[in-house]
Amino acid sequence: MPAAAPARPDVTYRTAGDRALLVEYGPPLPVDLGLNFFAHASARRLEENPVRGVLEVAPGLRSLLVHYDPETIQHDDVIAAMDRLHREIPEPGSLVLPSRRVKLPIAFDDSTSREAVERYQITTRPDAPNVVDGNNVDYLVRSNGLPNREALYSRILESEWWNAFTGFYPGLPSLLPLDPRSELVAPKYNPARSWTPEGAVAFGGPCLVIHPIESPGSYQLFGRTLPICDLVRRPRAHRADPILIHPGDRISFYRVEEAVLIELRRQVFEGRYDYDIEPGRYAVADHLAVQADPAIEAEAAKRRADRVAAQELVKIP
Amino acid sequence: MTQTAALEVLEPGLQTTVQDYPGRRGRQSLGFFSSGPVDSFAFRLANLLVGNRPGAAALEIPLGRFQAGVLAPGRIAVTGPETTVTLNGSPVPQWESVPVETGDVLACEVLRGPGHRLYLALSGGIAVPEVFGSRSTFLLAGIGGLDGRALERADILDTFPAAPSRPRRLPVSLRPAYPTAWEIEILRGPHADPDFLTAEDFADFLAASWRCDLSSDRVGIRFNPHRFRWARPSGDVAGGHPSNILDSSYPPGGILAYGDVLTVLGPDSNTSGGFAVIATVASASLWKVGQLRPGRDTVTFREIDLDQAAALSAHVNQLLDVRALC
Repeated sequence: MPAAAPARPDVTYRTAGDRALLVEYGPPLPVDLGLNFFAHASARRLEENPVRGVLEVAPGLRSLLVHYDPETIQHDDVIAAMDRLHREIPEPGSLVLPSRRVKLPIAFDDSTSREAVERYQITTRPDAPNVVDGNNVDYLVRSNGLPNREALYSRILESEWWNAFTGFYPGLPSLLPLDPRSELVAPKYNPARSWTPEGAVAFGGPCLVIHPIESPGSYQLFGRTLPICDLVRRPRAHRADPILIHPGDRISFYRVEEAVLIELRRQVFEGRYDYDIEPGRYAVADHLAVQADPAIEAEAAKRRADRVAAQELVKIP
Repeated sequence: MTQTAALEVLEPGLQTTVQDYPGRRGRQSLGFFSSGPVDSFAFRLANLLVGNRPGAAALEIPLGRFQAGVLAPGRIAVTGPETTVTLNGSPVPQWESVPVETGDVLACEVLRGPGHRLYLALSGGIAVPEVFGSRSTFLLAGIGGLDGRALERADILDTFPAAPSRPRRLPVSLRPAYPTAWEIEILRGPHADPDFLTAEDFADFLAASWRCDLSSDRVGIRFNPHRFRWARPSGDVAGGHPSNILDSSYPPGGILAYGDVLTVLGPDSNTSGGFAVIATVASASLWKVGQLRPGRDTVTFREIDLDQAAALSAHVNQLLDVRALC
């Protein structure tokens, strides 16, 4: 991994109908947090310096979907405005982004996730190779080339997780690890699962997600946390802001037994729980410093190689 | 503002919901599509006919079956495909405002001919609370409309006070046609050829007649499976099928390649999900998607450019000008 300061990414503009433009940063692979930071910086800059006719922007992993009103601004002028905006963004290495820190309890391999996996096995795919003994955890362990479950749990607990974007369902965060040694990858279910419990924590592609509501899903389940969204604003903790995790927030997990998690969830529903949220900012320079550390990079590279070797063996057809 | 109880639901139909236009805008970065009517053209006209703002909250009635008792005098208008609409058993016309009195019974019959969704506007507009800036029902998240759900028997719909308005009618010549074989205008991309599909794939996409699947709804309109060749062997880290991409936010009206199944993203769709969007329905043609009958209708897609899309929008806006009504 190069330790040099990252350059401004190449930009690809893709027409997304007559009212939106998809702006992509850099190449699709490898998954690069730096590109996501740049997308967040662009979105932030647009918010602070509105362009007449640009209605809203939605970040993706390394992209921005820019919605505009074609009666106010034309497609080519949106591109020109974005070009200008990209030039005005400071050097990627000097970016400092607004970012809160949120701490969440997690119960690994909880009974509700296991129930979802069992239902899938009964109703959808009895021979699913990602289901081992009624759970997806062992599959995650194997497909990432890890020695055991504890190694998987350590990877999740050791890193802070950056909310690269919120999407799919309202309030659903897609998180990437800020520590490259915690990178994990998992294929999606084939076919998708019809039921996922609220609060389920799962892996798909390079992303860790938390399910805000009961819903279908196709990511590999490995645990459960607190409710992260209540759009009807029932519990006190969600009344001011029904969506707990915003784009650019950092999440860290601490491990609890399932019984403790259930008690904490009860406290949320009874209005007795205050989420652990700390306001703050995140300097991309911190990320670059970690990346530039030879010991960390060597360890991350070894883990990546182990994972690639393991994934050859466990493909989901 | 004083609200008046205006309708009591006697027969809620298949999945009748309260919607407004343009719905819940400005929140895609938090994972919301807009909701709102699938056919925003018939919806806005229903409102204009009863003297409302075009975006006021009104009912979307899939398949047409609906019955309600009138609780206060006012005006109603039913737009969309042709069906039998009656007041106290006597037929009343569609696409024009109809005065109603307390005690009247309004009924819309199941759609037998082409088209799929009726729109019913009440003078004053339906008074349900705004949730995140919109009164639209979003069933999946259980918000908006009436307690975030479809209407049920014995629900009472309130309206806001209505401004005085004269009877209005949309001339027959200006009413949309509802075929069973549709042509829908699209723009190429964002994830089309040559990076994702081959040129032959895109040509096939435009040449084919696509059958609208029975599982279509407000989340998405799905078509018959089709194997594209694809310009790449796999989706790499995002997934085995070449339609997989690393996530980017979906455009409204995007035509998603969900593996081998094309899906037009509906107003209640997920906002991202890691699949290529090979084309996007022109905004002025998106209303047509709301009238596709699941399990029966077919669609061919016609590619247009940005200038043609602007011309189409200008044409639709002209029809939505209240001065065009008589």
